Amino acid sequence: MTNGKIFLDETRRILFAAAIALLVALVIILIASKAPLETFQTFIAGPLSSKRTVGNWIDDSAKLALAGLAFSLVFQARQFALGVQGQVYAGGTVAAAIALSPLGLSWVSIPVAAIAAMIAGAFLGFIPGYAKAKLNANEIVSSLMLNYIAYDIANLFLRLYLASPKSGLTASEAFPASAVYPAFIARTRIDLGVVLALGAVAIVWFLLYRTAWGLRLRLTGHNARFAAYSGIRSNFIMVSAMTASGAIGGLLGALFVQGQGFAKIVVGFEGGLSFEGILIAIVARNRPLAIPFVALGYGYLRQGAALMGYRTDVPAEVIGIVQGIVILLVASSFTLPGRAFLNRIMGGSSAARAPST
Amino acid sequence: MKPFLEAIGIDKTYPGGVHANKNVDLTVAHSEVHAVVGENGAGKSTLMKILFGVEQPNAGEIRLDGTPITLHSPRAAIAHGIGMVFQHFSLVPSFTVAENVVLGVEPRNGLKMDRKRAAETVQALADRFRLPVDVEAPVERLPVGQQQRVEILKALYRDAKLLILDEPTAVLAPQEVEELFSAIRSLTAQGRTVLFIAHKLPEVIEISNTISVMRAGQMVGRVDKKDATEAGLARMMVGRDVALKVTRAKPGDHPHLCRISGLTIKNDRGLDAISGMDIVLRAGEIVGIAAVEGNGQSELFEAIGGLRPVEAGSVELNGVDIVAVPVDQRRDAGLAHIPEDRIATGSAGGASVAENIVATELENERFVRHGLLDLGAIRKHAVELIERFSVRVSGPDAAIGTLSGGNMQKVVVARELSSDPKLLLVSHPTRGVDLGATEFIWQRIALARDAGSAVFLTSADLSELLSLSDRMIVLYRGRIVAAFSNTTELTPEMLGSYMLGFAEQPVHERQAALA
Amino acid sequence: MNEIFDTILSAAFVAAVIRTTTPVLFASLGGLLSDLVGSLNVALEGMMLIGALTAVIVSAYAPWYVGVLAGLAVGGLLGALMALFHLRFKADVILVGFAVNIIAAGGTVTALNYATGGDKGTSINLPSKAVPSLDLSFLDAIPGIGPVLTQMFSGHSYLTWLAVFLVFAIWYFLYRTPEGLRFRAVGEYPAAAEAAGISPNRLRTYGLVASGALAGLGGAQLAMFNFVGFTRDMTAGRGFIALGAVLLGRRHPVGTAIAAVLFGAFEALSIALPGILPRVPGEVIHTIPFVVTVLALMLSSKRRVTA
Repeated sequence: MTNGKIFLDETRRILFAAAIALLVALVIILIASKAPLETFQTFIAGPLSSKRTVGNWIDDSAKLALAGLAFSLVFQARQFALGVQGQVYAGGTVAAAIALSPLGLSWVSIPVAAIAAMIAGAFLGFIPGYAKAKLNANEIVSSLMLNYIAYDIANLFLRLYLASPKSGLTASEAFPASAVYPAFIARTRIDLGVVLALGAVAIVWFLLYRTAWGLRLRLTGHNARFAAYSGIRSNFIMVSAMTASGAIGGLLGALFVQGQGFAKIVVGFEGGLSFEGILIAIVARNRPLAIPFVALGYGYLRQGAALMGYRTDVPAEVIGIVQGIVILLVASSFTLPGRAFLNRIMGGSSAARAPST
Repeated sequence: MKPFLEAIGIDKTYPGGVHANKNVDLTVAHSEVHAVVGENGAGKSTLMKILFGVEQPNAGEIRLDGTPITLHSPRAAIAHGIGMVFQHFSLVPSFTVAENVVLGVEPRNGLKMDRKRAAETVQALADRFRLPVDVEAPVERLPVGQQQRVEILKALYRDAKLLILDEPTAVLAPQEVEELFSAIRSLTAQGRTVLFIAHKLPEVIEISNTISVMRAGQMVGRVDKKDATEAGLARMMVGRDVALKVTRAKPGDHPHLCRISGLTIKNDRGLDAISGMDIVLRAGEIVGIAAVEGNGQSELFEAIGGLRPVEAGSVELNGVDIVAVPVDQRRDAGLAHIPEDRIATGSAGGASVAENIVATELENERFVRHGLLDLGAIRKHAVELIERFSVRVSGPDAAIGTLSGGNMQKVVVARELSSDPKLLLVSHPTRGVDLGATEFIWQRIALARDAGSAVFLTSADLSELLSLSDRMIVLYRGRIVAAFSNTTELTPEMLGSYMLGFAEQPVHERQAALA
Repeated sequence: MNEIFDTILSAAFVAAVIRTTTPVLFASLGGLLSDLVGSLNVALEGMMLIGALTAVIVSAYAPWYVGVLAGLAVGGLLGALMALFHLRFKADVILVGFAVNIIAAGGTVTALNYATGGDKGTSINLPSKAVPSLDLSFLDAIPGIGPVLTQMFSGHSYLTWLAVFLVFAIWYFLYRTPEGLRFRAVGEYPAAAEAAGISPNRLRTYGLVASGALAGLGGAQLAMFNFVGFTRDMTAGRGFIALGAVLLGRRHPVGTAIAAVLFGAFEALSIALPGILPRVPGEVIHTIPFVVTVLALMLSSKRRVTA
């Protein structure tokens, strides 16, 4: 079996998931909308309707890719740390603080804020990891609790130190232009964030598949006892995976506040996007190289749903239902009749080969 | 008289392609003890699983008292009066004996469970069939021999007329086997029929009325007790005269390599698994540990291998105490470990063969420089080992979980031996492995020994221990109670009494073989 | 400091704790049942949310108890859905749980939008009902402590007393009935249950359905007593705190109940504190239940590791 076959298998699976997503959306629209055809059209074609909407789509996808990347790292180690949201708020707050400081008047603030945001996120990622390693505390609950705590503390910080009175203490002043990611296509949200996201994907791929650390992480994910038996320091690997993932979450926070989309910090700026990273990670089977594509596809649907929410009578939150159903389907392993037939034609199962990219 | 159970033309091929049963016939008479023997992989377990409804045959018929029956699940088998005791027990650790026996058919008192009646019924069964056990004890505290009785009681509680026992003596020492046999005789005297799988021939000949022999998926012969001889049966099982022999270590200087002093290790329940062990392992020697399962050998190897902490004492490898040292450093110092369970501990099923092989060598400059993997070197190394050990696999990128038991074990052995270890821990190396691979693995272990490794070996198979070891020690309740040089005078019976704690060798006799 | 103690040791505070604990207690008991049988249910949050909305919408058109039953039923249905995807289609139970949570978050807003004719935030437009409260003021008659008892125990939702009864009922079920024995067997050692002819998957399905039903009840209580009406994302992490209680409770109904009360106490404290300590920022006080959950989790797990 070649690498090409794996690629074909995976693409087929993802297309199947996409088809189901569209089907589910269509069904909901049929039930819920008074003008289903127009609504569906807005949903499907909306993101391509103008330069601005395309820009939003790309920008969303970059953020989704980072979120998915963060989750995929911890999922590869078989940990269910779900603290990306908290890391985004921590990173975003730190980045905003730098952008609004004297440093923000120079372009240096961009790299500095990115690094500082990553450190903040890494710290938040470290805590549940350490608690799990040293105290065996369940990482699902501890990371989720940290999300709520980080959100509250970020709001506190915003209200006390960063907010502008004009906004009723819910937002800061706009960042100086030198602290905002430059746009690649004017008047869109396609900015430096896209490059950073793609860079992060490449770096994570490299770390996972070309370094000893990455191999140790993947082996720990496959069988933690085997990893310990082989001399791999599983605890260290787990904690470092969660910390690295946290850094990615922190970076996402910087992307949010310093990107063209906001260029300031606002209460609740993250809007729940982090959790959509779970879907991205699952559909991409935690493989970094697949993540940008899945993010683009899902980002398109998301944008379509948002536009549908503005312009028609169906609320954007419908996308949540679609998301959940896609996760359920992709995480399951049943075969539809057509699939089994296709499998027999193409010969061989996809389970037998261990992924190398 | 009509036979009690008949299996006619049973054929079974597993989804992976293994043709486990080829047109197998089996006839069991009423109230007899019938043994099915054969080597690992001969198809005995599959046949038993089919008789208990765990697996479905692709072809063939089963008849009970002349009537054809279908067994599509264990429930159906139980309903027909067939009970099975597996090699791996299915007992809930924290439940009592009575709770475990009645689980699923509990006596009730309205909404409540009638605990008193449960205990009384189980006690009555235990007394009736000579299976003494404390019905209120939590099962996790019982020794393995008694746990087996609980399993048998489970079947009897459900009124099993036919009892299938899967390798029942594998986990018992010789004297416990006698107790089991007395229970079996009591069962057949009271009208039950016993069918069991075994591969320890002397026991089989002692207890059975009829012996059926399987080889490579086929039923090759059926022998009455009066006609059975060990040699005859062995020839039928293997198809040739069996002589899996391994030569002893060459005489001469065998320097100290590993000194274990005062080693104390605790088990999962906080009790001492090993207490104050002292022994010296020498280069170029195999030291075998004879012990009934659960007497500390698992914990001992886990501790030396770094998977379990040590309470007290030291393990000095070439003068360096490795007890407080992390696993990767132990391996650097020359430790290698073929673990008890290749699936749970010895491999990562979803990762490739190459990744599994290099997993223990991630500090080696051959494969990793500046933290980066040299994929070419890793692949080449894997391909080399696959060839050298004749592993049947499509390539180094195949997921190791798809390999057969024997092939997977070969990969594990290849990996551990490829580091030219100084101290080699070997635990049940050929469990669940077919004959060809077993011979191969035995030869490799001997080769490693001749190249200068000190080998510490444990196995549930006394014949394996006796074939491989140069020295033997017996472990009972965590202490060394006997030690010998492995000469032809050493027999399983001698070892048996020590293994069960009935005797303890005088200290001065032991010392000679321990240093 | 004194003020804090005065507040805590007051009857009014006990009453407040009982109030705040009830929804979390339902969800925790549900989480316990599914955890005991081997399927950790991380969808308690989503099930509570959907249960809350369902109860609100149905009670706008039917009596209050029908609303409550609807919340329970829809929770049970979600449990069955989880069982389908986890047990039949072999999806990881954590992922399935999260899918349910995600569906709940988006789905409840969508449904709310349609039920209220356009309001995506609250159900104010809907004439939803409340669960009646049980008046125990006859306790006043007891000499001495009467009024204190009344203040503590009177005026709570019918469902609160149901929750208390359930703690005992679940204990009895688990440790005195054969079905409970099988339940625990499946969770501790499924192979043994299977060998005894019990289907682990069937019992896991019951466990998931029961946990969903209980979480749904918790949601109904939340939106029909603690608050009256539905607000988007109103569960605000309670389902996850309930999960924390399950992990803390050492897999025993009484332990889980105690953990749930502990968290309820801190939630009540965080409501009372701004009055006593006006200088402490609201956001910090709001974090208290979550911080306590994390710390409790860390400390209790630590004890298990060193034991």
